[in-house]
Amino acid sequence: MRAQKELEALPDQDISDRHLDGWWWLVVAVIALVILLATFQPDPYWRIIRFVSDGILVTVGVTLTAFILTLIMGLITALGRLSKNKTLCWFTTIYVEVARGVPLLVQLLFWYFAFPSLIHSLGHLIHYVPFQRYLANPFVMAIIGLTFCYSAYMSEIYRAGIQSIPKGQNEAARSLGMSHNQAMRYIILPQALKVILPPVGNEFISLLKDSSLVSVVSVADMTRRGREFMAASFIPVETWLMIALLYLIMTLISARVVAWIERETQTEER
Amino acid sequence: MTIQPIIKIDNLHKQFGTTAALNGVNMFVYPGEVVVIIGPSGSGKSTLLRCINRLENFEAGSVVVDDIPLTTAENINAIRTEVGMVFQSFNLFPHLTVLENVTVAQKVVRKRTKPEAVETALSLLEKVGIPEKANDFPGQLSGGQQQRVAIARALAMNPKIMLFDEPTSALDPEMIQEVLDVMLQLAKEGMTMVVVSHEMGFARAAADRALLMDEGVIVEEDVPDVLFSMPKQERTKAFLSKIL
Repeated sequence: MRAQKELEALPDQDISDRHLDGWWWLVVAVIALVILLATFQPDPYWRIIRFVSDGILVTVGVTLTAFILTLIMGLITALGRLSKNKTLCWFTTIYVEVARGVPLLVQLLFWYFAFPSLIHSLGHLIHYVPFQRYLANPFVMAIIGLTFCYSAYMSEIYRAGIQSIPKGQNEAARSLGMSHNQAMRYIILPQALKVILPPVGNEFISLLKDSSLVSVVSVADMTRRGREFMAASFIPVETWLMIALLYLIMTLISARVVAWIERETQTEER
Repeated sequence: MTIQPIIKIDNLHKQFGTTAALNGVNMFVYPGEVVVIIGPSGSGKSTLLRCINRLENFEAGSVVVDDIPLTTAENINAIRTEVGMVFQSFNLFPHLTVLENVTVAQKVVRKRTKPEAVETALSLLEKVGIPEKANDFPGQLSGGQQQRVAIARALAMNPKIMLFDEPTSALDPEMIQEVLDVMLQLAKEGMTMVVVSHEMGFARAAADRALLMDEGVIVEEDVPDVLFSMPKQERTKAFLSKIL
């Protein structure tokens, strides 16, 4: 604790040491490698980057959207599983078991191909024309698929975090007259949040990588654009090397940001 | 007009699985009274205390606090605001500063504005003797200081009754007195208190009555001086010989 206080007392130029850890050089190295390749071998590397650039945005967009939804749905699921309401607990437990027990790829295929068919059948059954004409948007279905699967994992992280807070915290809050929801919101969740930050960060990185699976359900993400480029150019080595490096840059940056957030929240209150 | 008890406990039974924690407890506490409960561990003293604000549910019997029966109480949270509780392990909120620990429930439950809550909190921190720690986090405080904050936190709700569950058991010896001093002052001010504690000095100085519990029942009760020096029951004698 003394060392920490002394560190904080140091002048501003040391902030970079405190806020960046030793692994940022790896991020810089990979970015430098990509820039070098693109500069000195523009054909094919710069061509690949230009070709897949719209896919990069799709990958980032799909990942961020699904991640934000996962944070919300995961919390709702976790609160359901911890609820005293038997039906709610039963329902959410089954959901978590199913979503974790079926491969993500199969889930994505289900949401994109099977789900719209089911809606059509339902439309015919109840004679509801909009359902009969329902057209699945690949982007939306991919996000639903990722969120459905990842929320189940996220809910388990939330649940473990909430359960890691000593029972006395809840009792103290309740003895002051707080309702269950107030105790959760003001006392339990803020403390649980700190516990779950590292695993939640890891989920984000997993989600980023698994977002490449949406390429099989007609979403033109980075992976799908890579396949299209390879099909047209027949240079698999260069194509997949560049795609791999682009993913690596994103995951390495994410990992550093997660590590940074982790350290910031840990020094905050001692 | 006779004074009505503020806590009425009638034939209270509580099971933990197959073991009976409370085996028919009857107890009255009158407004302004200080009652100390002693007894061996596992005798049900903490459980009894926790039944008074329904942190524990009970199987049979009744608890009536301030004329509201707990079993049929529609809003248990409203009763809990009238009954402050201090725990053995302090249970301060580690993510909040001392000041926030004392203001959070005032704002959320009592719906006080921030300036009101802060004013109350600061005067209570003054009262328990640590106004200078208002902006520290609980982790930076000694055990005695933490427990005094916990008392201030409970008092901030303006409770009619204060429950103390072994408030000094987790403290280093040199910190016990500072907590007892705060409790003594509270007792002098006329607060109704139910205290589970083996601090005989405090019991003699502040308590109107002392109870000995064993195996889920109240074995004996009397004025502390009498109970401690001239117990009538064998079980009381046996217990006192072990702790004195």
